[in-house]
Amino acid sequence: MLNMLSLGLLSIVVGFIGSLTGIGGASILVPILALLGVPLKEAIACGMVAIIATSSGSASSYVRERIANVRIAMFLEMFTITGAIAGATITLYIAPVFLYFFFAAFLMTSFLGLRRSITEYIPPSTQDKLSRWLQLDGSYFDESAKATVDYRVNNALFGGLGMLGAGLAAGMLGIGAGAFKVTVMENIMRMPPKVSSTTSNFIIGMTALAGVSVYLFSGLLNLTIIAPMAVGTTIGAIAGGRVLNKLSNRTLRILFFVIVVYLIVQMIYKGITAL
Amino acid sequence: MTLKKTIDKDSGLEKAISYLLIIGVVLSVLLEIAGIIILSRDLHSLAIRESSSVFIQEHDFFRFIYNFLRTGHGDGAGIWLMTAGLIILILTPFLRVILSFFYFALKKDRKYVFITAFVLLALTLSLLLH
Repeated sequence: MLNMLSLGLLSIVVGFIGSLTGIGGASILVPILALLGVPLKEAIACGMVAIIATSSGSASSYVRERIANVRIAMFLEMFTITGAIAGATITLYIAPVFLYFFFAAFLMTSFLGLRRSITEYIPPSTQDKLSRWLQLDGSYFDESAKATVDYRVNNALFGGLGMLGAGLAAGMLGIGAGAFKVTVMENIMRMPPKVSSTTSNFIIGMTALAGVSVYLFSGLLNLTIIAPMAVGTTIGAIAGGRVLNKLSNRTLRILFFVIVVYLIVQMIYKGITAL
Repeated sequence: MTLKKTIDKDSGLEKAISYLLIIGVVLSVLLEIAGIIILSRDLHSLAIRESSSVFIQEHDFFRFIYNFLRTGHGDGAGIWLMTAGLIILILTPFLRVILSFFYFALKKDRKYVFITAFVLLALTLSLLLH
């Protein structure tokens, strides 16, 4: 039976998983809420709050520990916000059915990087001009490997375009598109797994924020759902933010891929039912 | 050693963002918890409601804040606290962008002043639209 207490407890788990994987958590929470009898549109609107809470709650740790890279995040946010605004506008004119399939197909490419992301991170030997000009590099101390990891970003432009796509999908489908962002950062921009998921966490809050007024106007924001969801996801995300660096890349990647498989199934199902 | 050049460059910004985020989320969580306790005590139930008083509808985010500050707690202290918590939750990442903008402006880092200004403008625009 769903009430404010059980929703709060459920949200703790979702915030924890969301903060470790770099996905917003709304994609897990929304279907559960819908199954438990909350009207779907209301669940989607309130899910935006879960994304913002997960993002801020975990980023406070990730930024302080210098795993999330603020410069990379700011650069990529230009693209996701533009995409999110465009997506929210386009969705009024075009049915987003095909996007579900596109999203599912793109998420499947995250498996291509599986072997690489589980083994040790090796920074690319060359860096393109734009990435260098933007100083997109950094280093963090990996508590699990007990070593400092130096990294540099490649293909900033294509990464930016990927984020534009992620923002577009987010705006059109009402999701945070965190898994999409993690995949772009790892496979296109060649960032280490922990930097990708924590930087994604930082960015998704911004993408969700871009949709706030749309949901305020829709009148679907229910305070008795939002309040326990915000409390739970924040607590879960703060806990996740303290644990992530102690876990190995391997554990984190396995968790990420389990979530990605779930998301792919969800997207294909939504796409088919929307046809 | 070229990889290490930016390592310590932004530690001031990172600390400031970290503090801002943690203060924002903790404040918002405390307000939400207080709101849940008061609302469930008033209504003698922890149930999720579908009555109109628990729904928010506003033209855009800035008008939401304005009307919240103007009208006070007509729907009871529980609803008021929950709404205040939501506003702080939404404002926190917005303030984070403003903070970054001033940081890069102080550092006279033109590239990132432009980037953060772009993000700030787009974000403000999105919060004005619906």
